[in-house]
Amino acid sequence: MPEMLLEPRALRVLESLRWNPRQVHAGRIRGERLTRRSGLSIDFRDYRDYVEGDDLRHLDWNVFARLDHPIVKTYQDEEDLAVHILVDCSPSMDFGSPNKHALAKQIAFAAGMIGMLGGDAVIGHVLGRRLPPPPPMRGRAGVLSWDRWCQAIAPNGHEILGQSLARFVSGTHRVGLVILITDGLDPGFAELLRKISARGHELFVLHVLAPQEVEPDLEGDLRLVDSESEATVEITASQSAINEYKANLKAHCELAAYTVQHYGGRYARVTSEQSVEEIVREIWQREAWVR
Amino acid sequence: MTFQDPRMFLWALPIGGLIVLMYLMRMRRRDLKVSATFLWPERQDEIRANHFFQKLKFNWLLVLQLLALALLLGGLARWQVRQTGLTGGTTVVVIDASASMGATDVQPSRFEEARKRLGSLVDGMQGGDRLAVIEAGPIPRVIAPLSNDSAKVKSALSGLGQTDAEADVGEALRLATALVGQAEGAKIILLSDGVFDPIENFSPGKSELLYEQIGKEGKNLAVTAMGTTDDPKGRQLFVGVKNTGGTELPATITISADKKAIFSVQTSLKPGASWGRTVRVPAGAEWLTGEIKSRDQLAADNSMTIPANPGKSMRVLLISRGNIFLERALALDSRVTLDRAAVVPEGEKRGSNGASKYDLVVFDGLTEVPVKARSILTFGAAGTPSPVTKEGRLSKPTFLDANAHPLLAGVDFGSVYVESGEKVAPRGSGQVIAEAKEGPLVVVSEGAQRQVYVAFNPVDSDFPLSIGFPIFVANVLEFLGGTDAASTLAVRTGQVLSIPAPSETPLPVTLPDGKVQEVPATAGRYVIRAFTVPGQYKWGSGDSQKFVQANLRSERESAITPVSTVEVSGNQVAANQKLDRFADLWKPLALFVLAILALEWWVYARRS
Repeated sequence: MPEMLLEPRALRVLESLRWNPRQVHAGRIRGERLTRRSGLSIDFRDYRDYVEGDDLRHLDWNVFARLDHPIVKTYQDEEDLAVHILVDCSPSMDFGSPNKHALAKQIAFAAGMIGMLGGDAVIGHVLGRRLPPPPPMRGRAGVLSWDRWCQAIAPNGHEILGQSLARFVSGTHRVGLVILITDGLDPGFAELLRKISARGHELFVLHVLAPQEVEPDLEGDLRLVDSESEATVEITASQSAINEYKANLKAHCELAAYTVQHYGGRYARVTSEQSVEEIVREIWQREAWVR
Repeated sequence: MTFQDPRMFLWALPIGGLIVLMYLMRMRRRDLKVSATFLWPERQDEIRANHFFQKLKFNWLLVLQLLALALLLGGLARWQVRQTGLTGGTTVVVIDASASMGATDVQPSRFEEARKRLGSLVDGMQGGDRLAVIEAGPIPRVIAPLSNDSAKVKSALSGLGQTDAEADVGEALRLATALVGQAEGAKIILLSDGVFDPIENFSPGKSELLYEQIGKEGKNLAVTAMGTTDDPKGRQLFVGVKNTGGTELPATITISADKKAIFSVQTSLKPGASWGRTVRVPAGAEWLTGEIKSRDQLAADNSMTIPANPGKSMRVLLISRGNIFLERALALDSRVTLDRAAVVPEGEKRGSNGASKYDLVVFDGLTEVPVKARSILTFGAAGTPSPVTKEGRLSKPTFLDANAHPLLAGVDFGSVYVESGEKVAPRGSGQVIAEAKEGPLVVVSEGAQRQVYVAFNPVDSDFPLSIGFPIFVANVLEFLGGTDAASTLAVRTGQVLSIPAPSETPLPVTLPDGKVQEVPATAGRYVIRAFTVPGQYKWGSGDSQKFVQANLRSERESAITPVSTVEVSGNQVAANQKLDRFADLWKPLALFVLAILALEWWVYARRS
C-alpha cells in the first residue's frame, strides 16, 4: 500500500474533526449537516396543521387529544456539505524551502479528509491548470481516491492564479465551503476572494508563503523574473527596497484577510516551515475552523 | 565676478559628456526567478554601469555630479570676485608714522585714519592671508610679524604710534622686502601721505608695492628756522616761518623768551611764502620760543624752542670719498656740525691765513695733510703730520692688546676683522693704545694738536658694522673735543643722542609729558632714542642735569600736502584709491563640491 500524504497518527486526529462553517449551505443528498429545510432528522423544527399525506408518525397525539385538531411536528433536514478544496498549482507555488506546494498538498489532503469523514462532499480543484474537477468524494471510501488526487497534483500549471480563480468564480459549482490553499501572489487576489464570497461560498483561506518570501534574502543588482507572467523587475536589493517589498506584502495579505473576514470567511497566513499538524492544532482547532 | 582662466570650462564637454555617458549605460543585472514580482518596487540605483545603452533617466546623482563638475571647473577657471581689503596671500603693511601723518585734514588725523584702514584690512583677513605690519618711523620697526592670526595682528596694532619726526620710509620698505620680497605674489601696502623723500635703493623683489594715499589737503604754517648769532650789540635771534601748504593762512606769530613774549605780529602768508624776523635776545634768557597760532592742520611744527646759549659746539670737517657709517656716527653727537669735502680746503691747510673754522678734521682713507684744526682723526692713511711712521702694509692683522685708554672704552678690537691696513711705528709723542701682532692699530698723540691715528680704513674692515664703531667715534669726539657740553641742547625730533654712561645704571629720561623712560647703558654709553615728539626732555640732577629741547625742524615734514604719486627707485608709484582684489573663489567652491559629494554619498547611502 503506497504511503499516504499524512501519517496515520495525524489521520486519527482528523477523524474526529468536522468543518465548522458559519453559514448553512444547501445539500444534495442526505448528510450529517442540518439544513433550513424540514426533513427527517431528530432535531425539532416547528408545528403545523396536518395535511393529507403527512406521515402519521409525526402527528402529535397529545396535542390532538387536547385540542381535537391534528397537528404534526416537523424536523430539520440533514444534508451533505459541498467542500471545494482549491489547491494552487501555479508555478509560484513551486518555491521556497520547504516547498510551498508540498505543504499545500498535505493541507489539501487533511482538509479533504476532514470533509469526507464528516460526510461532506469533497471536490478538489487545481488552480493553475484547466483540469475538470474530480467527482465529489465522500466517506471513508473516498479517502484513497482523495489521497491519489492530492499526490498527483503538481505545481506545473501554466495559468496565473488570477485566471484560475476567475474561472472558478464563473463556474457553476455547488455553493458550499471553499477551502483555498494558495500563496495568493496575484495583484487581484483580494478582488477574486470577494467574488468567490459573493457567489455564496464560505471561504476558508490558507495563505501559504515561503520563509524566503516573508524575509527575502536578496543582495546585489538583480533582474527579478516573475515565475508566472515572466514579467521582470530590475532592483538593487538594498535594505530600503526590501523594506518596501515587506510593506507591500503586508498590505497585500492584510487586504486579503480583511476581504475574507468581511464576507464571513476565515483567513490564516502560514509559512511552508509549519507542519500540517501544527496548522490543524494551532489554527483550525484553536480558531474553530473545525469542531 | 570674473574667470581668470575661462578655457577650463572647455573641459565641461568631455568630462560632462563622460558623466552623462555613464548614466546612459545600464547595469547588467543577474536574473533571479521569484514567485511574483508585483510586490517588488522598481528600485534601480545605477551605481555601476557595464552595458550599453539605456534611455537617459532623471537621476539626482547625475544632477549632483554635474553640479559638482560645474563647481570644480569654476574653481579651476579661477572664478574670482572683486573684494576690498587685503590683496590676498602674503601682505606687509607699512604705515607711515612720520610727523606729517599727524595732520588733521582727515579726522582725527592721517595716522589714525591709516590705523583705521589697517584695522579694516586685519578684520578682512581670510584663512590663507598672512599679514605683517611695519611702522615707518625714524627707526622702522616690525609691529606684527607675518602671521595669519588676525587677532594676534590686531592686538599688536596697539603698539603703533605716530612720531613727530621724519620717517625713514625707504628703510621700512626695504625691511618689508626682506620679509616678503621672495614670496611670489606678495604685496607691500604703503599707507602714507607720500610726504617723504624719493626712495632710492629699493627693489620689491617678487612682491608688488601698492601705495594707498592718506590725506586730502595740506594747510600748514611752520616755524622753519630759529638761530642765534652774536654781534657787538648782543645776541640776536632769527625766527623764520613758512607757509608750506597750498592755501593762504593768517597767523599770529609770537616770539618769547622764557615764555615771556618779546615780539608778536599778525600776518597772512601765501602758499610758499616765508616770513622772517630778527629780534634781540633779552639778557639772561635761557629758552627762546617761536610760535604760530593759526588754523593749520599740523601742530607739531607750530612751535620751536632753542636754548638762548647754544653751548659748545664742534665743527667737524670730514675728508672722505663718502662713508655713511662715519657720517652717522659723527652725527650722533648733538654738538657736531659736520661738513664734508673730498680734499682739505686751502683755507684749512697749515700755513694759510686765518684761524681754522673746524675743531676736528677727519681723514677717512685719504692721506693726512697738515691742517690748522686743533684735532685730527685719521683712518688708514698716515701723512707727514701723523704721529706714526709708515713702514708698509698690514694684511689681516691679529689683535694683540689694548690699553685702558678712554678712547677704547666699550670698544673691542679683538672681534674686529681687518682686511688690510698700514704697518706703522709710533713717533714723537705718539702712544700706541691698541696693537696687533703685526703692528700698532691705534695711536694717539696729545701734543699741540690732539691726534688719533687708526691704522686701517673702516671700509677695509667690519668695524663699522660693530657696536664699537659709533662708541669709538663718540669716544674720539669726547677725547678730542672735550666733555664740557652745555646743559641745554636742541635736537631734531627723531634724532639719536649718544652720551657717555658713567655707570651701568639706566638713565631715567623725563619725557615732555612727564613720563620717565629708562635708557640702559650699552658699552659705556647711553643711546637716547626717545625724542619722538617736540618738547623738553631732561635727565640727571644738579650740575649734571641736562635739558634737551626736541623740535620738528623739517621742511619736508611740514610740507603736508598729500602726494598722489611717490617716487620709488626712479619709478612713479601712483596711489590706489581703493585696495581692491580679485579673490579666488576656489576655497568656497571646493567646500561646496565637498558638500555636494557628501550629499551625493548621503543620497546613495539612503537608497542603499
